[in-house]
Amino acid sequence: MRRVFRLIALAAATAGIAACGSDGASGPPTLNLYTFTAGSGGAFEAAVKDCNEKAGGRYRIVIQDLPPNADDQREQLARRLAAKDASIDIAALDVIFTGEFAEAKWIVPFPEAQAEEVRRGTIASTVETGTYQDQLYAAPFTSNTQLLWYRKDRVDSPPKTWDEMFQQARELGGANGVIEIQGAQAEGYVVWFNALIQSAGGRILSSPTKVDLPDGPTRAALQVMQTASKRPFADPSQPTQAEDEGRIAFETGGPSFMVNYPFIYPSAEENAPDVFKNIGAARFPSVSASEPSAPPLGGLNLAVGAYSKNREESFEAAMCIREPRNQLLATELGGLPPTQESLFDDEVVRKAYPGFADLMLESIKAAGPRPATPAYSDLSLGIQETLHPPSSVSQSDASTLRETLQDALDGKGLL
Amino acid sequence: MSAGRERLVWTVGLFFVLAFALIPVLWLLSLSLKQTPDLTDNAFLPLGGITFDNYSQIFSGDIPFPKYLVTSIGIALIATLISITLGAMCAYALARLDFPGKRIILAVALAIAMFPPISVVGPLFDMWRNIGLFDTWQGLVIPYMTFTLPLAIYTLSAFFREIPWELEQAAQIDGATPFQAFRQVIVPLAAPGTFTAAILVFIFAWNDFIFAITLTSTDNARTVPAGLSFFSGGSQFETPVGAIAAASVVVTIPIIIMVLIFQRRIVAGLTSGAVKG
Amino acid sequence: MSSVAAKAAPPTAAPATAKGKRHLTDKQKGERKLAYMLCAPAVIAMLLVTAYPVLYALWLSLRRSDLRFPDASEFVGLTNYITVLTSSTWWSVLGATTLITVVSVAIELVLGMALALVMHRIIFARGPVRAAILIPYGIITVVAALSWQYMFTPENGFLPFGISQSALLADTAGQYIAIIATEVWKTTPFMALLLLAGLAIVPDELHEAAKVDGATAIQRFFRITLPLMKPAILVALLFRTLDAFRLFDSAFVLTNGDFRTVSILGYDQLITRLNLGLGSAVSVLIFLCVLIIAALFVKGFGTAAPGAGDDR
Repeated sequence: MRRVFRLIALAAATAGIAACGSDGASGPPTLNLYTFTAGSGGAFEAAVKDCNEKAGGRYRIVIQDLPPNADDQREQLARRLAAKDASIDIAALDVIFTGEFAEAKWIVPFPEAQAEEVRRGTIASTVETGTYQDQLYAAPFTSNTQLLWYRKDRVDSPPKTWDEMFQQARELGGANGVIEIQGAQAEGYVVWFNALIQSAGGRILSSPTKVDLPDGPTRAALQVMQTASKRPFADPSQPTQAEDEGRIAFETGGPSFMVNYPFIYPSAEENAPDVFKNIGAARFPSVSASEPSAPPLGGLNLAVGAYSKNREESFEAAMCIREPRNQLLATELGGLPPTQESLFDDEVVRKAYPGFADLMLESIKAAGPRPATPAYSDLSLGIQETLHPPSSVSQSDASTLRETLQDALDGKGLL
Repeated sequence: MSAGRERLVWTVGLFFVLAFALIPVLWLLSLSLKQTPDLTDNAFLPLGGITFDNYSQIFSGDIPFPKYLVTSIGIALIATLISITLGAMCAYALARLDFPGKRIILAVALAIAMFPPISVVGPLFDMWRNIGLFDTWQGLVIPYMTFTLPLAIYTLSAFFREIPWELEQAAQIDGATPFQAFRQVIVPLAAPGTFTAAILVFIFAWNDFIFAITLTSTDNARTVPAGLSFFSGGSQFETPVGAIAAASVVVTIPIIIMVLIFQRRIVAGLTSGAVKG
Repeated sequence: MSSVAAKAAPPTAAPATAKGKRHLTDKQKGERKLAYMLCAPAVIAMLLVTAYPVLYALWLSLRRSDLRFPDASEFVGLTNYITVLTSSTWWSVLGATTLITVVSVAIELVLGMALALVMHRIIFARGPVRAAILIPYGIITVVAALSWQYMFTPENGFLPFGISQSALLADTAGQYIAIIATEVWKTTPFMALLLLAGLAIVPDELHEAAKVDGATAIQRFFRITLPLMKPAILVALLFRTLDAFRLFDSAFVLTNGDFRTVSILGYDQLITRLNLGLGSAVSVLIFLCVLIIAALFVKGFGTAAPGAGDDR
């Protein structure tokens, strides 16, 4: 029996040692920055290096890598924060996580003085993604938006609306009539649906707890989805295509249109020079001619963990990482647009988005963020399960969707 | 005439048995030895030549595989030691002593053996996060120990019943207390059976996935199965197939060694109860 | 784990008990005290880590308890159960799990019987065969699933239907095939070992006598071997069924969590969504399903129940 106790003690001691590893007793506090690094081409590493130098020994930021896709990032962070993990000092959150993490009290709002500084000069739509109940919980670092990419050699003037695009694509016909969208059952599909409904003048939620989905705009959005799933517009593997699969298909030279993020541009330059020289960029198409489009909005915001033992330093470090010079690093190294409006005139940004930097800014400013609700992940799942695949979408889905999503918001649905 | 044909039939059967059991293992071995470009050649064997790069990668590269390995071995060993110690005490009482409540203990153990782990991971997650056991070694040792106790109790009591207990009585006649008799006479006799039970318990703890992914979140306490799924799952980028295969082979080697050395015992441990009751 | 299973029968009671005596001698008292002392740690550990959490799950399942809404925790009665039981998701996942359980256990029984017969009859290479089939039993399930996953993926695999254009694991039917194949591979050896042990108790004389009477090998198998093995078969089936019903690891790894069994559904609610109330309702329902399966089998055992005393 004594052996048992000795073993338990041993186990406890071992775990104790492991737990102490992260924060040393003396010296500047080590701040853990949780982020997915490979997607930003070394921008985070560069920004961290910059801030550690500027900190002058007050803190030292260390990067902890997260998985590449947003769902896995959320699962990791949420589980650890739910377990009150003190090692999460700063986390780079996808724009959609703010509501959930704030409501669960896993992240803490920025002190008003710093929040004020963040808001100054930062594009309003991106500030909105970091805001929950009028408080800034996550400071925008990088942004992102989707544009309409089209073939200049086949299309004289880019379409303003989806109907115009369908018309042009039908005339092109065959393989050239394909329009690449994000049809895979994933967050990208929700991004598309959200952009469509907002472009039709509606919205998914009227408040964090209430479904809106007004009838007219919802039907219009569903109509676009239905049409896009038909020939010749739909890629044969549309139901499994996410952003990257769409890019690859577009690079084959077949499709004439694609809605996607700007990462496709340098990729085409490298992989498909013939396609590249004919790529044109335009604003995300609208649903009705009278309503301007609400393009998708992505990006990463920096938030401070509620259980961090170094809260003050963490805010300071987050403020440093989002400094304009570091935002430019993200554009230069990772092709990610900045959130500071004035930076769109900077040479780095103009070089990263040759000829369409202003369009990027316009798109980000006009973007329709996805709904801010603590139940966002449930909402997203509900949309994916109700509306996927695109070919199954029908007008009667409007009412099913309303019920499913309201259940999801009320925490009632089994998903 | 029919004897010769029958022998042929059984030989063919034997061949199928071996192929059935070994192909997936050989497949991993082959993948782990393939050179990176050959990983996608759709061939069963590493025809393009073999390399040990994948192995050196998992022991030196970015993947914290050695850490997973240490965690797995450590947690499985601790859980096995505790489980066998507690299980042996209980099994001794069940096999040897007379007391009311025996059937209840056996029923509890049997119920736990059938228990779906998913029914407790939620509460355990909630409890562990509140008392600070989340993402620690203890947080995994405790459920492993518990879920292997029935296995230990049943296997050990089956073995204990085979022990010549007259020796213990003799020791007691010589003036030893029941506890002394247990420790000095029975423990050495019971060692082989105990070892068998320990192997079975170790295999369970070594194998577990569901507790390992729900009750950990960092390399602090991540075991090999959880680690493997973590560096393979959900990546947009190239999955490190060769490295995963190499890691898989490494964690399979101890199992194969154990199986080769102790096969007779393992089979006895797995089946004795079923037939003899 | 499932192997415990095999030991369904209680161990023999110690000989020379003092049944019927009203007064306990000091020695008997000491024995009892020792017995309780020896059993207490194991029993307490088992109850603390299973019974208590199950009760806790029961309590959670009656509440709205979502870690994402820490302020909205409240008692909601049976609402969570109603949500689960009226959800088409639950029933389709339950159906999928049942299908996988029935199909894989059936295949395992047939294959396991064949394996057991081979192992029973061969007179050479017994050791290597036994060692070979123990490997699938001992190998980590996640590793087994990864091996099968790579067989089936178009990029890496070597199976002809795996490398056809559409990835097998991308559609539902293919996922069933892959999950069942992995499950059968991993657990048939266990089934075979239990059946082999059952075969060993069928007396050879019966076979010889039947042979003399002119019974064919097939007749002998169905008329003699099978009936005598009924208890061993039922025990093996019970534990494999319960084991297959709680399937998690291989399905989770093979399809990256895409294919859902009841255990994965529970995991999604509990761990991915952190909706402990709803997830606990799913957990409790899974537990009830397991109880029902066990009860059905025990009823099916009838007099053949292990420990019913026929062989002791």
